[in-house]
Order: sequence, then C-alpha cells, then structure tokens
Amino acid sequence: MDVVLSHIVKRFGPLAANDDVSVRFAPGTIHGILGENGAGKSTLMRVLCGVLAPDGGEITVGGSAYARLNPEAAGSLGIGMLSQDPLDFPPLCVWENFALGGGPVLSRGQATARLAAVCARMGFVLPPDGPVARLTVAERQQLELARLFDRDVRLLILDEPTTGISPAQKEALFAVLRAFVADGERVVALVTHKLAEARELCDTVSVLRQGRLVGSFAAPLSTPAILASMFGSQAACAAATPPPRPDPVTEAEALVVVENAVIADEKVVLEPLSVAIRPGEIVGVAGISGGGQEVFLRGLAGIAPVVAGRLSVAGRELAGRPLTRFLDAAVHYLPASRMEEGLFPGLSLLDHVRLAFPEQRDAARTIFTERCVGRFRLTNQPDSRAARLSGGNQQRLLLSLVPDDTRLLLADNPTRGLDAASIAQIWDHFRERAAGGAAVVFFSEDLDELLDHAGRVLVFYSRALVADLRSGTYDAACVGDLMTGRVAAGEVRP
Amino acid sequence: MTRRASPLVRAGFSLALAVAVTLAIVAAAGAPPIDTLAVMAEGGLGSGQAWLRTLSALVPLLLCGAALCVTFAANLWNIGVEGQITMGSVFCLWFLRVAGLSGLLPAPLAVAGSLAAAMVGGLLWALLSGVLRTYGRVHEIFSGLGLNFVAMGVSLWLILGFWKRPGMASMSGTEPLPAELWLPALGGRPMSLVGLVLAVAAFGLVAFVLNRTFFGLALSAVRQNVVAAERLGLRPKRRMLAAMALGGALAGLAGGILVAGLYHRLIPSISGNYGYTAIMAVLLASGSLRFLPLACLFFAVLTVGSIQLPLALSLDSSLAGVVQGVLVLTLFAARRLWPAGTTGSRGGGA
Repeated sequence: MDVVLSHIVKRFGPLAANDDVSVRFAPGTIHGILGENGAGKSTLMRVLCGVLAPDGGEITVGGSAYARLNPEAAGSLGIGMLSQDPLDFPPLCVWENFALGGGPVLSRGQATARLAAVCARMGFVLPPDGPVARLTVAERQQLELARLFDRDVRLLILDEPTTGISPAQKEALFAVLRAFVADGERVVALVTHKLAEARELCDTVSVLRQGRLVGSFAAPLSTPAILASMFGSQAACAAATPPPRPDPVTEAEALVVVENAVIADEKVVLEPLSVAIRPGEIVGVAGISGGGQEVFLRGLAGIAPVVAGRLSVAGRELAGRPLTRFLDAAVHYLPASRMEEGLFPGLSLLDHVRLAFPEQRDAARTIFTERCVGRFRLTNQPDSRAARLSGGNQQRLLLSLVPDDTRLLLADNPTRGLDAASIAQIWDHFRERAAGGAAVVFFSEDLDELLDHAGRVLVFYSRALVADLRSGTYDAACVGDLMTGRVAAGEVRP
Repeated sequence: MTRRASPLVRAGFSLALAVAVTLAIVAAAGAPPIDTLAVMAEGGLGSGQAWLRTLSALVPLLLCGAALCVTFAANLWNIGVEGQITMGSVFCLWFLRVAGLSGLLPAPLAVAGSLAAAMVGGLLWALLSGVLRTYGRVHEIFSGLGLNFVAMGVSLWLILGFWKRPGMASMSGTEPLPAELWLPALGGRPMSLVGLVLAVAAFGLVAFVLNRTFFGLALSAVRQNVVAAERLGLRPKRRMLAAMALGGALAGLAGGILVAGLYHRLIPSISGNYGYTAIMAVLLASGSLRFLPLACLFFAVLTVGSIQLPLALSLDSSLAGVVQGVLVLTLFAARRLWPAGTTGSRGGGA
C-alpha cells in the first residue's frame, strides 16, 4: 500500500505542530519518523490515522486523495495505530478487548478463535480469559497489535513503542515488525526519538524539527547527519557526547534513611524496603510500568503514605506524617504530569511565585525577575497564565519554585516531552543541587537517559526493590533484565 | 482588535435573544407580551415603593451571591445557601428571644447580637457540609441539598411546636417581635435599609478578601488545582472549610436580616428561594464579582415585578415563574451559542 502525506499543516492556536510536512510511506518498508520530543511526530501520525483533522494538505492512500480522515475511514483503508499508551480497557478480559474497537461484532467463540489464529501467526502468548489489568505493557501492546492484524491493517503506525518494555521484548517486537512488512505490500511507520532504534529497524527515515520536515534519509543511515538534522548542528555535538558522570559519593552521613518501610498508594502496596541515600547522590529509579518505582518516589515525597517501618530525612522521622511535614523537612517533588499535579493553569506566573514563597510575596516581582527569569531562564511574562507555558517552561517554573535549601528532590520523569535545551538545563540543575549537598532521586522511562545521569540505580520489579546498583557495576542489558524480572538481583550483584 | 468590544456585544446579543424568546413564549400563552414585560419592570422599578421592595429582595440576594462567590472561588458548589439562611434566621430569633425578649440585654445590643448569632448559625450549617465534603467524601451539592430540607424541617418544627404562638400554632409564623427589637428602619419600610448597608459592606469585604489577600489567592489556587495546592503545602481542606464558613456566615446574616429587618418573626420557608436565585445570579455574572450586583438587581426586579402580573393583567401568577425561567435559560443558552474565548479571571495582587 502506497501512502503519501502532502503538505500537511496542523495548528494548535499559535503553534504550528506540523508545518508543510510531506512524507511518502512506500510499500514493504519500515519508515521512521524521527525527531526530539515536541517535534510534531505524534501530531503527524494522528493526522494520518484520522484522529486529528489537518488544517491543510492532503492524504493519498492507494491513489485516492483525502483532505482529512476520521478514525473509521482510516480503519477501513487499513491504517491502524498502536499508540504510546495502550488504548485498552483494563477491567475487561483479553478476548473482550480483542473484540472491541471497530470491525464486525464477534461472539466469544469467534473472538477467541481469531485471537488464537493471530497469536499463532505472530508468536504471541495471550490468555483470552485473563484480565488486561494483569498484563505487562509489552503484552498489552501485543494484544493491540493482534487486534490490528486481525482487522487486516496494512499501514501500521507505532508511536514510541519501546517505551516501558525491556530490551528483550523490544527485540521480539522488532522481529514481528520485520515479518509484517516482509510481503512487500504492507508498511510500518515507526515514531521514535531514539536514533539507535531507527538505525536498527528502518529502511527510510524522515526527520522533523519544530513541526517542519528537515531531512529524509534512506538506509544505510548515517548517525551524524541525522543528529545534525534532529537537533541542529551545534546541539548535535552536545547530544552525541555523554554528560559527565557524577562523582562517586564518599561515606557521608545518610540523608534519607528508609528501614523496612511499606509504602502504600491507593492501589499499590510496595514490599517492605530499606535503603539509605547520602547527600550529593543522584539516584535513578528504574522499573517498567507497574514496577512500583513511581510509588516509591511518591512515598519519599510524603504523597503516598508510609504505613509501616521508618522513613527519616535529615534526622526527622517522617513515616506516617502529613505532607506539610515533608515540606518542612525540605523534601520536594516534581510530578511527571506538570500541569495536572504541579501548576495552576488559570493563575499568573507571579501568583505561582506568591503561593510558593508566601513570606516574600511582596517581593514576588523581584523574585520572578531574579530567580525564574535570571537563573532558570523562564522566557514568559510574569502576568501570563501558566496554561500558556510550553512543556519546557512549565518545568522551568516548577524548578524555580523549589526552594534553594531543599534537601531531597524527587523527580518523576523530569525530562518527559521536553526539547534538548531544556533537558540539558534540567540535568545541569540537578547536578548543581547535588553538588550543593542535596540528594536527587529521579525516575525516567528512558533507560538510556537514566543510566547516563544516575550515579546509582535502584531497580524495581513487581512492586519490590530488587537491586541497588552502584555506578560502574551495571549496563543497560543487566538493568533491563532486572526491571523485567528476567533475572533475580543476586545473579548480577558483583 | 475587536476583542475589547466583544464581551459587551455578546451580552447584548444574549439579552436580545433572551427577550425575544421570552416574548414569544408569553405571546404563545395568550398574554400581551410587551405589556407583560412593562408590568414586570414597572413593578420592580416604577415607584419609590417599588424600589424599596426591590432593594429588600436585593439585600439577601447580594449577601448570598457574595457567599457563593467565596465558596465558588474554592470550587465548592455551595447549594446549601437556602438552609444556611434558614439556620441564620433560626439562630437570630433564638438570640432575640433569649437576650431581647427576656430583657437580658438592652434592645440595640440584642439586635446586634442577633445578627452575629445568625452568622454563627449559617456558619455552622455550612461547616457541616464542608466537613462532610473534606473528610467524609460527600459532595457538597448533595449534603447542601439535604441540609436545606433539614433546616426547613427545623424551622417548621420550631414554628409549629417550640416557638408556636400562644394558644395555637400557625403557618403564618411565630409571634411578631416588639418594635424595639427590629433593625432600625433607616428610612426604609418594609425592609430596613440597615440590611442594604450591611450587604454592601459584606460584598466589599468579599471583593477585598478574594482579590487582595493571600487567602483569596490560595482559594483560587485550590479552585484551579487542588492536587498542586496540596503539594505546595497550602492545606486545601482547611481553605475549603474556611471558605464554607465565610460563605455560611454571609448567608446566615441574610437570614438574620430577614428576621430582624423584614418579617420580625420566623415564618415557614423564610429563605424564599433567595439561595437558589443567588446561584442563578452568580452564574449569570460568570462568577465575576464586578457583574454580580447587576445580576442580583436583575433578579430582584424580576422577583418583585412578577408579583404584579396577577394584579395588573390578571394573568395566572405561575406565568411569572415561566417568564423568569425562560429568560434565565435563554440567557445561558445564548452564551453557549456564542462562547467567550477565555472565561472569568482573577485579578492579580496579594
């Protein structure tokens, strides 16, 4: 199937997410859409699968041109998308999810039979009667792929499919994709911000930057050329050179002491865990979805209660105490969903400063100029509303609201969705804080990034802390195996 | 370029559409449409007496509107204003009986104290809703509605039982208070204009608190994002309770003014739907304090003017309710038809 996007324009208010983008998806190929976060990749794919209507341009599928598609029309043309977060219904069981979502109405028997047929063809193992809530992210992906294959999808779009799955599961997925296009007729569009993945899998690549198509490449793919077009030539050097490793921390007095603590969220209870974190450490918390790493961060922040055991920060006992005590102990948390959990969309940036520093609210304007603009390079006007901030500026504002005397900084996916410059600034800032004697504990879905920046890695699997790895004693494959429970902790501990 | 003008244009469009639809409905009901509107406007604004009646409806509306703005600022749908008015009036009369009728306090002090008691009554009733919301996970819409009925029951029980008129209980209310326990008239009858002074002062206080204090800023933070407010250590539960308490005190004051300044006794359904009408006024003003007095005045005129319909045009009195309802509904619908780019804002300053 030959699919061509010509001169696609998609605007969100003043922002052009896609600006005159033309891409051809040739039959029998895997085509990569590359670009850093926020470049407009997902928007383009949503236009292609009919979720978004473009403001300009057209979509040509098998010779007929369309000004826009809707999900139903795209489905009947054989275009299907595996989105970043699986679009399924966790309380329903596998065959019910398989039977839902377009196509003919299937009875339980029919659905089970067709699911078994697809699974046999693709090498998936999916229990038809198990609830989807019990599946791993990789299995939920497979379920969605199975549904798409069953609907005879011919252009398969995958949006960052390797987020939250292990390296081994990634290999399995890539094998499935290669087999999918092997008939020379079907097409895969792979959206990713990871160059290594594109090099491994793609025949052709289109690179987006700030909504525009800035480069097209065919295999063999050259790393420097693609990097230059993704980031611009200067930033490419920065992206290509690894950041300085944090110094190994000497035997200082522990700042954070966790002893046999049971952290309980509304839905998840972690196994009792013990760990000590020293001032100056930058600790990465690794784990796949459902591993419990986010709950651990929220537990340290005082958001998820510690229901048993001990948790102390700088000598203050905090287990079971309210959130305000954690703030008093200079513990601060940067949420992954910044707007939903951290900011007040309708309030001005100045109001945010007043709320964060109530004692100095008369000097809010000065604080804003010196701190938010001067030190954190926030580029917005003090009276503009938080709702108008870009992702990078949201994070800059949140960082600037964290007091300087913070002892323990917790960050859930601090760089998610940000551009390269913002990401670099955030890591610099974390290193600065650590050098000043604070401890930084963060979680990133991007394992490579996590390993690049952490001086120590805590690995979670199945709601338990399974490994505590010092810098230099691990690599991506070993952490990946631990994260997905393929090996137990004792087997890799040096 | 035309952004400045557009709110006015939109308001004009809404009003024109609302009047047109209302006229059509009135005509369909067999009434002379223009005359009906004229009688309503005349009844509310046509004479000095009409103005006084309108002002006496404006006082509780303004107080309840201000109360609703406070709770709305914290994203609380304080539907229980009716009950808070009722409990305010009950506490007010209780204080007047205990401290005034018994001669315990000099009359002026007893009257002043009764208004304070009214505020406490409304405050406690609102806090009940607030505690159920913050600690019991009962939404304030349900608890407020339920407590409205409970308050009404309490007042009826008092009127027909505990505080019944000597000899026989009467639905016309408790024994009227002696004139020395009335709010000073200040040139106004039936409604004492002291109520108007208090209402305007309370409105000014609310505007100041919401726009110029840290408490007001914290309330809008809670309204915008309760999770973020919690994370910043703003203690949203306490802020919500404080907002409920302030709102309840204002609604209770309205009940106190109705007893001490207008009816001089406790009557059944003393709240007179002011609590619900005030919700409509606040919605009409989009929660903006600037337009609230105008919206309250609009509803006061509608309420008072519609009483004239049966007298002047021998129309069925229920048509007045229809006119009110249609007018309000069309106004809201018109605003949906032509939505604003951005919704209500909060001024800066702390």
